[in-house]
Parts: sequence; C-alpha cells; structure tokens
Amino acid sequence: MTAAAIDARGLGKDFGSVRALDRLDLEVREGEFFGFLGPNGAGKTTTVHLLATLLAPSRGSARVAGHDIRVDGLAVRRNIGLVFQETTLDRDLTVEENLRFAARLWNLPEHQAAARIEAALRRFGLFERRRDSVRSLSGGMRRAADIARGILHEPRILFLDEPTAGLDPRARRSLWELIRSLRASSGLTVFLTTHYVEEAEPCDRVAVMDRGRLAALDTPAALKRVAGVASLEEVFLARTGHELAQTGAS
Amino acid sequence: MRAVYGIVVREFVRFLRQRGRALSSVARPFVWLIFAGAGFAAVFAGRSEIDYRVYMAPGLLGMVVMFGSLLAALSTVIDRDAGVLRMMLVAPIRRGTVALGKTLGATLVGTAQALVVAAILLPVVGLAPTPGGALLALAAIVLTGLALGALGVVLAAGMRSIENFAGVMNFVVFPMLFLSGALYPVRHLGPVLHVLAHLNPLAYGVDLLKHALLARWVDSGYGGELPIPLDCAALALFALAGLAAAGPLLAREGRVARAAFREQR
Repeated sequence: MTAAAIDARGLGKDFGSVRALDRLDLEVREGEFFGFLGPNGAGKTTTVHLLATLLAPSRGSARVAGHDIRVDGLAVRRNIGLVFQETTLDRDLTVEENLRFAARLWNLPEHQAAARIEAALRRFGLFERRRDSVRSLSGGMRRAADIARGILHEPRILFLDEPTAGLDPRARRSLWELIRSLRASSGLTVFLTTHYVEEAEPCDRVAVMDRGRLAALDTPAALKRVAGVASLEEVFLARTGHELAQTGAS
Repeated sequence: MRAVYGIVVREFVRFLRQRGRALSSVARPFVWLIFAGAGFAAVFAGRSEIDYRVYMAPGLLGMVVMFGSLLAALSTVIDRDAGVLRMMLVAPIRRGTVALGKTLGATLVGTAQALVVAAILLPVVGLAPTPGGALLALAAIVLTGLALGALGVVLAAGMRSIENFAGVMNFVVFPMLFLSGALYPVRHLGPVLHVLAHLNPLAYGVDLLKHALLARWVDSGYGGELPIPLDCAALALFALAGLAAAGPLLAREGRVARAAFREQR
C-alpha cells in the first residue's frame, strides 16, 4: 500500500457567510496524477490554498506529505511546490535571478542551488533566456519559469492551479510535455486544478467539484463508464448540471 | 536566514534596476535644498547664527532615509499585486521572516540613498563632520531606516492596493516630515503638535542626525535636543514594534483570497 500524499478529512472553508468549501474527504496517493475539476467558484483554488497552508481551514483538517496543515505549516510548505494561476515571478528581475531568489527562500545552499537552477533552465528551454527580464518572456515561457521555480526544491507534491490559463495551444502542449517528463523522471505527485475537461483526461483519477462539494471521484474511464457517456464533459454535465468553460476561452 | 538575505538582495537589485527611482531619490533633497532652502533662509535671515542650509542638512538626510525606506517597504503592496508576495508566503519560512527581510531590504535601500546624498550634500553646504559625528550619523541613518522600513511593511500589510498610496503620502509621510524638526525646530509648535512630534519616529532620527552633524551649534539651540540614548531607544522601539506587528498582518492573505473568491462567483 502506498502512503497518501494528501489526506483531507472533512476539510472546509467559509468566507463570512459564503461556504467556499463544504466538507471535503479526499485521498491522493503518492506519485498520482490527480485532477481537480470544476467550474469557477467550485472551491478548487480554496482547496489548494488550504492544502498549501496559505489559508486556515474553518473545519476539518488534512495531512499533506504526512504533516498536519493546521500545526506544521512549515513542514508542509517544505514538501510542496505550488504554481499559482497568476505568475509569482518578479518581472523586474531576470529568469535566473528569480530562480536564485526562490532557491534562497527555500534555503538551498548556494552551490546546490546553482546546479539545480542550471539544470531547470536547460530542462525548461530557458537557458538562452536566463539573463532576460521576466517581463520580456512570452506567456508560455513565463509559465515554464514559474514551474521551474515551483520544483527547484524538489517537492514531493506539485500543485498546479489552472496552469494553462492564458496560454496559447502550442504553449499548452509543451507545458503538458514538461509535466509528463517531470512525473516520469521523479515520481512526483501532481495535483492539477482545471476547468477544462480535456486537461483532466490524462489524470490517474479525477475529482469533480461543484459549489464547494465533491460531486464525483474516480478514474476518467470509470467516470465515463458509470455515466454511460463518451466524454468527461458529459460526466461533468450529468454530475453538476452546468457546463464547463469551452476550450480556448480563458 | 538565507531567506532574509535573498529578500534583501532582491530589494536592492530592484532598486538599482529602477534607474528613475534611484536618480529621483538622490535628486529630491537637492530640490528641497534649493527651493525650500532659499525660502526659509529668507525668513530666517539676519537673526541666526547658522546658515539655514546647514541647519537643513540633517533634516534632508533624514528625509532621504524616510522616503527611501518607507517607499521600499511599501513596495510590499506591489509585491502582493504582482504575486511575488505569494512566492514568499508559500516558502517554508515564517511570516515574520518575510517582514524582517522586507524591513532590512528597505533599510539598506534608504541607507544607500542617504550615503550617496550625504557625500554630495555635506560638502555643498560646507559641513565636515568629525569621525565620531560621521559614525553617529551612520547609526542614525540605519536606525531611522529600520524604524521606517518596519512602519512601511505594517502600512503595506494593511493596504489592499496601491490606490491607498496617496493617502499614505498625505496622512503619514508629509505630517511626519513637517513634525520631524527637519525644516524647523518642533519646540516652537503648539503643545498638541509637540506631543505628536514625540510619536513620530522620524523626529528621533532627525534629532540624532542633528547631534551628529550640528554639535557645534548646540549652545545656540540648533543641535540635537533629546538625549542621544533616548533617540536610539525610541527608534529601536519603533522598529521592533513594527516588526512584531508586521508578521501577523502579512499572514492575513485570507482577505485577498476571499476577495478573489467573491469576484469569481
């Protein structure tokens, strides 16, 4: 039996009277590619922020990489990488300076950081652009730099919060290629949130979220079989009663 | 502590890269020296033992540190808008470490500006501090930078966006400047303003700078007025109180997430 990378029990969050996340029970296995699917406002980002200890839960709890999010935020954050919907890079710094800044925040010794930064820059096709300011990069390259920043400290779990938002199809494809190769080489657990159904197709398992509640959880194939339909899109419609964003919209 | 170092380095690199900001911060005190200096010198003319421009020099240095450190610390708001603050908050470091890094970075930026300005300003007005005076001035600059840097992080942590920036300039920066003794001695102000001046970190910084640079004019009433240890203690207290408050305030990322959530719905 593999240990759970993420184990949420009755996890919930209210913002005032708005119930952003009701009571989530969820187990994500070590090394799993986990899809977290739902329309805007379903509570996806809230869940990610709770699991990453950026928000305190209103009820319930969760263990991430074996650490309780309520009591050991530092240990949780040491073991996760998080790529936000919007870039977190400093546009005034170069790509390399941003990565060096991140390496220091994660307390990597300088020589180790230098080696990892160079490896990441090469892997993500950013080596030639390392001395350019982030401002001058295309959206796809910026996102690649964001992910490079997110995995520099070799986290066990990588959260990707709608990583393809605002990317053109070519940049999307290379992003998926990148994630595939990362998973193949490191056994990284990936927790992907998306409102694009086809992005969840390659996941090992998919949770369908609707208005702060878990509406379905299974492999993409099983979800389709149970619903008797050909696409996850239809599963989604059947489970939540409303449509997802069209591909290409952002 | 590597994280603190990283935040400080980033702050300084950003400052050096923003040429316009660096140049205008160095030029600003000279604009004041020329225009405000000429005006006040005319008012003070004929009844003083000290050239008004000399009297103004410590205040101008204090002003440079204030603008330098406070504005650098206020850039935390821009960090929040641009998302960079999140990179710091998701790192395995405490909120207090982020606040400390931002405060020290702001102090470094303010100190560097003040040293560059001092190197030009002091010869221009004909002030040659003693070695002891120069050391005390450096201490005053660093302590003022720490106090105002910490204050800036607190203000930034409480602000939602840079739209509140004008408010900070009008209700924090300018009152602080005018109640600091940088332009005229505060003891001549009424009792209410005099009390307010004692709540003003910049007043202690400027007083310390006067001790350092205007020691010769103490007897004619233009030097520092408060005891040096009191100035130092007050500045240190402002810095520590600011740092203590800033950490928890920065952690209130929830407010921002909540706003974003409302927009989504």
